[in-house]
Amino acid sequence: MKSKRILVAVLCVAVAIALMSCASNKEPAAAAIKAAEDAFNAVKVEAMKYVPDKAKAVEDAITAAKGAFEKKDYDTALNGAKAIPDKVKELSAAVTAKKAELTKAWDELSAGLPKMLDAVKSRLDILSKSKKLPAGLDKPKFEGAKSGYEAAVKMWEDAKAAFTGGNMTDALAKATTVKEKAVEVMTALGMQPPAAATATKG
Amino acid sequence: MADDKNLKGLGPDDKGSGTDAWDSTQWHVVVKGDTLSKISKKYYGDPNLYMKIFEANKDILKNPDLIKVGQKLRIP
Repeated sequence: MKSKRILVAVLCVAVAIALMSCASNKEPAAAAIKAAEDAFNAVKVEAMKYVPDKAKAVEDAITAAKGAFEKKDYDTALNGAKAIPDKVKELSAAVTAKKAELTKAWDELSAGLPKMLDAVKSRLDILSKSKKLPAGLDKPKFEGAKSGYEAAVKMWEDAKAAFTGGNMTDALAKATTVKEKAVEVMTALGMQPPAAATATKG
Repeated sequence: MADDKNLKGLGPDDKGSGTDAWDSTQWHVVVKGDTLSKISKKYYGDPNLYMKIFEANKDILKNPDLIKVGQKLRIP
Protein backbone atom coordinates (compact mmCIF):
# COMPACT_ATOMS: atom_id res chain seq x y z
CA MET A 1 0.00 0.00 0.00
CA LYS A 2 2.79 2.35 0.93
CA SER A 3 4.75 1.54 -2.22
CA LYS A 4 1.63 2.26 -4.28
CA ARG A 5 1.38 5.74 -2.74
CA ILE A 6 5.03 6.36 -3.48
CA LEU A 7 4.51 5.29 -7.10
CA VAL A 8 1.53 7.65 -7.50
CA ALA A 9 3.53 10.48 -5.94
CA VAL A 10 6.46 9.84 -8.30
CA LEU A 11 4.13 9.82 -11.29
CA CYS A 12 2.53 13.08 -10.19
CA VAL A 13 5.93 14.71 -9.84
CA ALA A 14 6.97 13.41 -13.27
CA VAL A 15 3.81 14.78 -14.91
CA ALA A 16 4.27 18.12 -13.15
CA ILE A 17 7.89 18.33 -14.33
CA ALA A 18 6.82 17.52 -17.88
CA LEU A 19 4.10 20.16 -17.80
CA MET A 20 6.47 22.75 -16.34
CA SER A 21 9.08 21.92 -18.95
CA CYS A 22 6.58 22.37 -21.74
CA ALA A 23 5.11 25.53 -20.28
CA SER A 24 8.58 26.96 -19.84
CA ASN A 25 8.78 27.32 -23.68
CA LYS A 26 5.59 29.38 -23.80
CA GLU A 27 7.28 32.77 -23.50
CA PRO A 28 10.17 31.98 -25.89
CA ALA A 29 7.66 30.58 -28.39
CA ALA A 30 5.51 33.72 -28.15
CA ALA A 31 8.60 35.89 -28.60
CA ALA A 32 9.82 33.82 -31.56
CA ILE A 33 6.42 34.04 -33.25
CA LYS A 34 6.35 37.81 -32.76
CA ALA A 35 9.87 38.14 -34.15
CA ALA A 36 8.90 36.00 -37.14
CA GLU A 37 5.79 38.07 -37.81
CA ASP A 38 7.70 41.33 -37.49
CA ALA A 39 10.37 40.12 -39.91
CA PHE A 40 7.78 38.92 -42.40
CA ASN A 41 5.68 42.08 -42.15
CA ALA A 42 8.72 44.15 -43.09
CA VAL A 43 8.89 42.48 -46.53
CA LYS A 44 5.34 41.20 -46.91
CA VAL A 45 3.93 43.81 -49.33
CA GLU A 46 6.75 43.53 -51.88
CA ALA A 47 7.05 39.77 -51.40
CA MET A 48 3.35 39.25 -52.12
CA LYS A 49 3.76 41.39 -55.24
CA TYR A 50 6.94 39.89 -56.67
CA VAL A 51 7.25 36.35 -55.27
CA PRO A 52 3.74 35.44 -54.05
CA ASP A 53 4.37 31.69 -53.87
CA LYS A 54 7.41 32.08 -51.65
CA ALA A 55 5.63 34.68 -49.51
CA LYS A 56 2.68 32.33 -49.05
CA ALA A 57 5.02 29.56 -47.86
CA VAL A 58 6.43 31.84 -45.14
CA GLU A 59 2.98 33.01 -44.18
CA ASP A 60 1.87 29.38 -43.88
CA ALA A 61 4.86 28.62 -41.65
CA ILE A 62 3.86 31.48 -39.33
CA THR A 63 0.27 30.25 -39.29
CA ALA A 64 1.49 26.75 -38.40
CA ALA A 65 3.63 28.06 -35.52
CA LYS A 66 0.70 30.07 -34.20
CA GLY A 67 -1.55 27.04 -34.52
CA ALA A 68 0.86 24.96 -32.44
CA PHE A 69 1.02 27.74 -29.86
CA GLU A 70 -2.78 27.84 -29.61
CA LYS A 71 -2.73 24.10 -28.96
CA LYS A 72 -0.16 24.73 -26.21
CA ASP A 73 2.44 22.77 -28.17
CA TYR A 74 5.07 25.35 -27.34
CA ASP A 75 8.06 23.25 -28.40
CA THR A 76 6.69 22.87 -31.93
CA ALA A 77 5.67 26.52 -31.99
CA LEU A 78 9.14 27.62 -30.86
CA ASN A 79 11.00 25.40 -33.32
CA GLY A 80 8.73 26.41 -36.17
CA ALA A 81 8.96 30.14 -35.41
CA LYS A 82 12.74 30.08 -34.92
CA ALA A 83 13.22 28.86 -38.49
CA ILE A 84 11.16 31.68 -40.01
CA PRO A 85 13.62 34.62 -39.87
CA ASP A 86 16.02 32.70 -42.12
CA LYS A 87 13.15 32.01 -44.52
CA VAL A 88 12.33 35.73 -44.47
CA LYS A 89 15.93 36.52 -45.40
CA GLU A 90 15.67 34.13 -48.36
CA LEU A 91 12.36 35.74 -49.26
CA SER A 92 13.91 39.19 -49.19
CA ALA A 93 16.74 38.01 -51.45
CA ALA A 94 14.17 36.52 -53.85
CA VAL A 95 12.31 39.85 -53.96
CA THR A 96 15.54 41.70 -54.77
CA ALA A 97 16.40 39.21 -57.53
CA LYS A 98 12.92 39.37 -59.04
CA LYS A 99 12.92 43.17 -59.02
CA ALA A 100 16.31 43.20 -60.75
CA GLU A 101 15.03 40.76 -63.38
CA LEU A 102 11.90 42.83 -64.02
CA THR A 103 13.87 46.08 -64.14
CA LYS A 104 16.27 44.62 -66.71
CA ALA A 105 13.37 43.43 -68.86
CA TRP A 106 11.67 46.81 -68.52
CA ASP A 107 14.83 48.74 -69.42
CA GLU A 108 15.20 46.65 -72.55
CA LEU A 109 11.59 47.05 -73.64
CA SER A 110 11.42 50.74 -72.82
CA ALA A 111 14.49 51.34 -74.97
CA GLY A 112 13.24 49.20 -77.86
CA LEU A 113 9.48 49.69 -78.10
CA PRO A 114 9.57 53.42 -78.97
CA LYS A 115 11.81 52.56 -81.94
CA MET A 116 9.29 50.03 -83.19
CA LEU A 117 6.37 52.39 -82.70
CA ASP A 118 8.22 55.24 -84.44
CA ALA A 119 9.01 53.02 -87.41
CA VAL A 120 5.38 51.93 -87.68
CA LYS A 121 4.12 55.52 -87.41
CA SER A 122 6.50 56.64 -90.16
CA ARG A 123 5.27 53.89 -92.48
CA LEU A 124 1.60 54.49 -91.65
CA ASP A 125 2.00 58.22 -92.32
CA ILE A 126 3.52 57.57 -95.74
CA LEU A 127 1.01 54.87 -96.66
CA SER A 128 -1.80 57.25 -95.70
CA LYS A 129 -0.58 59.58 -98.46
CA SER A 130 -0.29 56.79 -101.01
CA LYS A 131 -2.81 56.71 -103.84
CA LYS A 132 -2.60 52.94 -103.96
CA LEU A 133 -1.52 50.44 -101.32
CA PRO A 134 1.43 48.12 -102.03
CA ALA A 135 1.00 44.49 -103.02
CA GLY A 136 -0.05 42.34 -100.09
CA LEU A 137 -1.74 45.19 -98.25
CA ASP A 138 -5.40 45.90 -98.85
CA LYS A 139 -7.56 48.59 -97.30
CA PRO A 140 -9.02 46.46 -94.43
CA LYS A 141 -5.55 45.19 -93.53
CA PHE A 142 -4.22 48.75 -93.57
CA GLU A 143 -7.06 50.00 -91.37
CA GLY A 144 -6.44 47.06 -89.02
CA ALA A 145 -2.77 48.00 -88.82
CA LYS A 146 -3.68 51.62 -88.03
CA SER A 147 -6.01 50.65 -85.18
CA GLY A 148 -3.46 48.09 -83.98
CA TYR A 149 -0.84 50.83 -83.83
CA GLU A 150 -3.19 53.18 -81.95
CA ALA A 151 -3.98 50.41 -79.44
CA ALA A 152 -0.26 49.72 -78.99
CA VAL A 153 0.48 53.41 -78.37
CA LYS A 154 -2.33 53.60 -75.79
CA MET A 155 -1.13 50.46 -74.04
CA TRP A 156 2.45 51.75 -74.04
CA GLU A 157 1.24 54.84 -72.19
CA ASP A 158 -0.57 52.57 -69.72
CA ALA A 159 2.60 50.50 -69.26
CA LYS A 160 4.66 53.60 -68.52
CA ALA A 161 2.04 54.79 -66.04
CA ALA A 162 2.07 51.39 -64.32
CA PHE A 163 5.85 51.52 -64.08
CA THR A 164 5.80 55.06 -62.70
CA GLY A 165 3.18 53.90 -60.20
CA GLY A 166 5.54 51.18 -58.98
CA ASN A 167 3.65 48.26 -60.50
CA MET A 168 6.51 46.67 -62.40
CA THR A 169 4.78 43.34 -63.02
CA ASP A 170 1.79 45.02 -64.64
CA ALA A 171 4.04 47.44 -66.56
CA LEU A 172 6.04 44.56 -67.98
CA ALA A 173 2.93 42.57 -68.93
CA LYS A 174 1.55 45.58 -70.79
CA ALA A 175 4.89 46.31 -72.47
CA THR A 176 5.06 42.71 -73.66
CA THR A 177 1.59 43.06 -75.17
CA VAL A 178 2.74 46.27 -76.91
CA LYS A 179 5.72 44.41 -78.35
CA GLU A 180 3.49 41.62 -79.67
CA LYS A 181 1.06 44.12 -81.16
CA ALA A 182 3.88 46.10 -82.78
CA VAL A 183 5.32 42.92 -84.33
CA GLU A 184 1.86 42.06 -85.67
CA VAL A 185 1.39 45.53 -87.19
CA MET A 186 4.88 45.63 -88.70
CA THR A 187 4.35 42.23 -90.27
CA ALA A 188 0.96 43.31 -91.66
CA LEU A 189 2.61 46.38 -93.22
CA GLY A 190 5.34 44.26 -94.80
CA MET A 191 8.00 45.54 -92.42
CA GLN A 192 10.72 43.50 -90.76
CA PRO A 193 10.33 43.51 -86.94
CA PRO A 194 13.63 43.98 -85.06
CA ALA A 195 15.45 40.82 -84.02
CA ALA A 196 14.98 41.50 -80.30
CA ALA A 197 11.21 41.67 -80.68
CA THR A 198 10.94 38.27 -82.28
CA ALA A 199 13.60 36.49 -80.23
CA THR A 200 12.16 33.87 -77.91
CA LYS A 201 13.33 33.90 -74.33
CA GLY A 202 14.66 30.56 -73.09
CA MET B 1 6.85 41.35 -98.16
CA ALA B 2 8.43 40.80 -94.77
CA ASP B 3 10.37 37.85 -96.11
CA ASP B 4 11.64 39.80 -99.10
CA LYS B 5 15.39 39.32 -99.42
CA ASN B 6 15.76 43.05 -100.02
CA LEU B 7 14.03 43.94 -96.79
CA LYS B 8 16.55 43.99 -93.99
CA GLY B 9 16.17 44.79 -90.34
CA LEU B 10 19.89 45.32 -90.00
CA GLY B 11 21.97 48.38 -90.61
CA PRO B 12 24.14 48.91 -93.67
CA ASP B 13 27.34 48.11 -91.83
CA ASP B 14 25.96 45.30 -89.80
CA LYS B 15 28.12 42.24 -89.47
CA GLY B 16 25.70 40.41 -87.24
CA SER B 17 27.07 41.46 -83.88
CA GLY B 18 27.29 44.51 -81.68
CA THR B 19 24.26 46.17 -83.25
CA ASP B 20 21.11 47.39 -81.59
CA ALA B 21 18.78 44.41 -81.67
CA TRP B 22 15.82 46.78 -81.35
CA ASP B 23 16.78 48.87 -84.38
CA SER B 24 13.59 49.02 -86.40
CA THR B 25 15.01 50.75 -89.45
CA GLN B 26 13.77 49.15 -92.67
CA TRP B 27 16.28 48.63 -95.47
CA HIS B 28 16.27 47.89 -99.17
CA VAL B 29 19.33 46.67 -101.04
CA VAL B 30 19.40 48.17 -104.51
CA VAL B 31 19.39 45.60 -107.32
CA LYS B 32 19.87 46.04 -111.08
CA GLY B 33 16.93 47.87 -112.63
CA ASP B 34 15.85 49.56 -109.38
CA THR B 35 14.86 53.22 -109.33
CA LEU B 36 13.55 55.15 -106.36
CA SER B 37 10.14 55.22 -108.04
CA LYS B 38 10.12 51.43 -108.38
CA ILE B 39 11.21 51.03 -104.79
CA SER B 40 8.55 53.51 -103.69
CA LYS B 41 5.89 51.55 -105.58
CA LYS B 42 7.09 48.33 -104.01
CA TYR B 43 6.90 49.55 -100.41
CA TYR B 44 4.22 52.23 -100.60
CA GLY B 45 2.19 51.21 -103.63
CA ASP B 46 2.75 54.68 -105.08
CA PRO B 47 5.83 55.55 -107.20
CA ASN B 48 5.27 59.26 -106.62
CA LEU B 49 6.32 58.94 -102.99
CA TYR B 50 9.96 58.26 -104.00
CA MET B 51 11.06 61.55 -102.42
CA LYS B 52 10.29 60.08 -98.99
CA ILE B 53 13.00 57.51 -99.65
CA PHE B 54 15.37 60.09 -101.09
CA GLU B 55 14.93 62.36 -98.04
CA ALA B 56 15.64 59.44 -95.72
CA ASN B 57 18.88 58.65 -97.54
CA LYS B 58 20.32 62.08 -98.19
CA ASP B 59 23.48 61.06 -96.38
CA ILE B 60 24.31 58.65 -99.20
CA LEU B 61 22.25 59.95 -102.13
CA LYS B 62 22.94 63.25 -103.84
CA ASN B 63 20.50 62.80 -106.70
CA PRO B 64 17.23 60.81 -106.64
CA ASP B 65 17.98 59.56 -110.14
CA LEU B 66 21.34 58.12 -109.19
CA ILE B 67 21.32 54.98 -107.10
CA LYS B 68 23.85 52.18 -107.24
CA VAL B 69 23.44 48.42 -107.16
CA GLY B 70 24.28 47.15 -103.67
CA GLN B 71 23.43 50.40 -101.91
CA LYS B 72 21.40 49.91 -98.75
CA LEU B 73 18.58 52.41 -98.56
CA ARG B 74 16.47 53.25 -95.54
CA ILE B 75 12.76 52.80 -96.22
CA PRO B 76 10.89 55.05 -93.78
